[in-house]
Amino acid sequence: MTYRCLFRIALLLCFSATALSTSYSLLRFQQRRSINVCQKLLRQLPSTPQHCLEVRMHFQVPEEMKKAQKFRKEDAILVLYEMLQQIFGILTKDFSSTGWSETIIEDLLVELHGQMNHLEPIQKEIMQKENFTIGDSTVLHLKNYYFNLGQYLKSMEHNSCAWTIMKAEMLRNFSVLKRLTDYLLD
Amino acid sequence: MVQSVKRKQGWHLLQCLRKVFSWRASLSWVLEGLGGEANLKPENVEIHIIDDNFFLKWNSSSESVRNVTFSADYQILGTDNWKKLPGCQNTTSTNCNFSSVELKNVFEKIELRIRAEEGNNTSIWYEVEPFVPFLEAQIGPPDVHLEAEDKAIILSISPPGTEDSIMWATDRLNFRYSVVIWKNSSSLEERTETVFPEDKIYKLSPEITYCLKVKAELPLQSRVGYYSPVYCINTTERHNVPSPENIQINADNQVFVLKWDYPYENTTFRAQWLRAFFKKIPGKHSGKWKQILNCENVTTTRCVFPRNAFPSGIYYVRVQASNGNGTSFWSEEKKFYIEMKTVIFPPVISLKSITDDSLHVSVGASEESENTSVNQLYPLIYEVIFWENTSNAERKVLEKRTEFTFLDLKPLTVYCVKARALIENDRRNKSSSFSDTVCEKTKPGDTSKTWLKAGICTALFSIPVVIYVVRLFLRCVNYVFFPSSKPPSSVDEYFSDQPLKNLLLSTSEEQTERCFIIENASIITEIEETNEIDEVHKKYNSQTSQDSGNYSNEDENSGSKISEEFLQQDSV
Repeated sequence: MTYRCLFRIALLLCFSATALSTSYSLLRFQQRRSINVCQKLLRQLPSTPQHCLEVRMHFQVPEEMKKAQKFRKEDAILVLYEMLQQIFGILTKDFSSTGWSETIIEDLLVELHGQMNHLEPIQKEIMQKENFTIGDSTVLHLKNYYFNLGQYLKSMEHNSCAWTIMKAEMLRNFSVLKRLTDYLLD
Repeated sequence: MVQSVKRKQGWHLLQCLRKVFSWRASLSWVLEGLGGEANLKPENVEIHIIDDNFFLKWNSSSESVRNVTFSADYQILGTDNWKKLPGCQNTTSTNCNFSSVELKNVFEKIELRIRAEEGNNTSIWYEVEPFVPFLEAQIGPPDVHLEAEDKAIILSISPPGTEDSIMWATDRLNFRYSVVIWKNSSSLEERTETVFPEDKIYKLSPEITYCLKVKAELPLQSRVGYYSPVYCINTTERHNVPSPENIQINADNQVFVLKWDYPYENTTFRAQWLRAFFKKIPGKHSGKWKQILNCENVTTTRCVFPRNAFPSGIYYVRVQASNGNGTSFWSEEKKFYIEMKTVIFPPVISLKSITDDSLHVSVGASEESENTSVNQLYPLIYEVIFWENTSNAERKVLEKRTEFTFLDLKPLTVYCVKARALIENDRRNKSSSFSDTVCEKTKPGDTSKTWLKAGICTALFSIPVVIYVVRLFLRCVNYVFFPSSKPPSSVDEYFSDQPLKNLLLSTSEEQTERCFIIENASIITEIEETNEIDEVHKKYNSQTSQDSGNYSNEDENSGSKISEEFLQQDSV
């Protein structure tokens, strides 16, 4: 009799714990899947002249992206969204000089758009709940970094060399994004 | 004469002195007005940034504005490198435009300071609170271009700022636009809609003048911009070929079904699709609409196309009608979430009775769902509904596992189960339809238990019985093999002077009888009288002889009579 009772209590506890912990798990699942797809698509873009990568660019990569910084779940979502938004913005620029497949770029844009769509309602909730403002320095640092990328692309007249560097930066961004999804727990 | 001259000279001197004093007074007044350096300082300095336009405004503390100029410097917070603010150097007005400042980074804090100058006098610096230009900037009015249809207006909105805008470079695609539209004739009927840069406002009436104004917003930053100027346009007259209406898209196994309403017959239709992300990008993307292959030149108000034509994502769909009279305007664009149309197939359930009070449930995927990517796209959980066949009380359980057990059931009862698959924690509450209902009876009432109980009861009752039987048996054994030494009372009396030994087993000595020969009867009586006191043994002997004689005598009467007499005498 006692065993049966204990078993039932254990089952109930397990279920409660699972129920409480799955509020972000669907999002995490989707984000990770999407990021994997994006990385695969990016790698499909043909490798461009290697000499382009020899140019050292200083885009003022935010410290938050470099180090393995710990994020609260809510901050992780805001940073995730901002990064997705900015990568989306870069990919809408003129890439005709590269000869890259429009289909691949469109597929990338679809994935990014889909991810942003999933994040939007949660982001709205967070901003309302915490009365959050974008005065947060992390977001401003990110905006500056992506602004520099955009300005560089423009200054190089969107040539293939500049896009090579963009591709390298975006691959790095996706690694950071993947790391951020680790915080989408509990 | 001398007196008049003297009087005149005195008067002139007086006038001179008066002038001197008044000049000195005014000089001192001016000097007081200048108040030294403190009074030159600008006051209430404000920064106004609209898109990429930077303005500085202030008040001058001195009432006299002659020859007072103002100059401003700026630097990035934390550095010590004040630079001259372009457009705000030696300005006599109380505002300046420093848009030409080429800020490398509008996302970092900058400091401003301004001071007044008059000749060689300069006021102290008025330092403005450090600020982040991006956060301080206000969203300016967007540029709007309109095109009219009969029942709709096409909007082409350009984001605030120029295309080279530095302020909005990172947010150009994030703007949403709020449109307020009203009929020119009655401004009371206002309607507000949120639109994309390239969008349409529907549900308008033909041949009416509509006026509208647009403002840009950054909703996720809670920032709202200024309204554009009011634009007015006339809708065209009613088109002779109406547009299709009420577009619906439904999923049906491996296909999508697109349906719409159309009032007339003999019309051909075509449907197009667009990936939703294009809507975020300003500029015309009319070239991006693509034809849905199975929906070109269809004559019915529906068309069917395969699911794999549209990989997962968000799309817009529009339909156009054409007949002999011409081609209609495009219908309203219907947003279409593939993921919402994803069909989650119902699971397959199997139920097994293990014990009398539990049922084991196995949830499996149906054959059809094996091939779809739903399971890969989403983690699934199952909503299981469970009830006793005879009652209506249903128990609902959410289970992530595919194998689980229901406990605490009644034996020999039929229970039924049905389940559906859900996407775990999906805000849209997307689910499959319910599986088939499966029923199973629990095993009969706890056979082992009752046997055990019966066994115990039997054991309990049988123990005394067994004990009793054993005792009886032992008694029997004792009786047979170990008899009691105490003879019964009747036997006891009879054999009192002789120890009664085992008659059967031991061979006792033969009991010798003492016999007396009886000569005649009289003697007998005498013998008897004399022998009354004698032991019975002697009497016995005489009697015995008699008796034995009697017993052996054939003549019973005589023998018995004699014996009776003796016995009677003896008994006395």
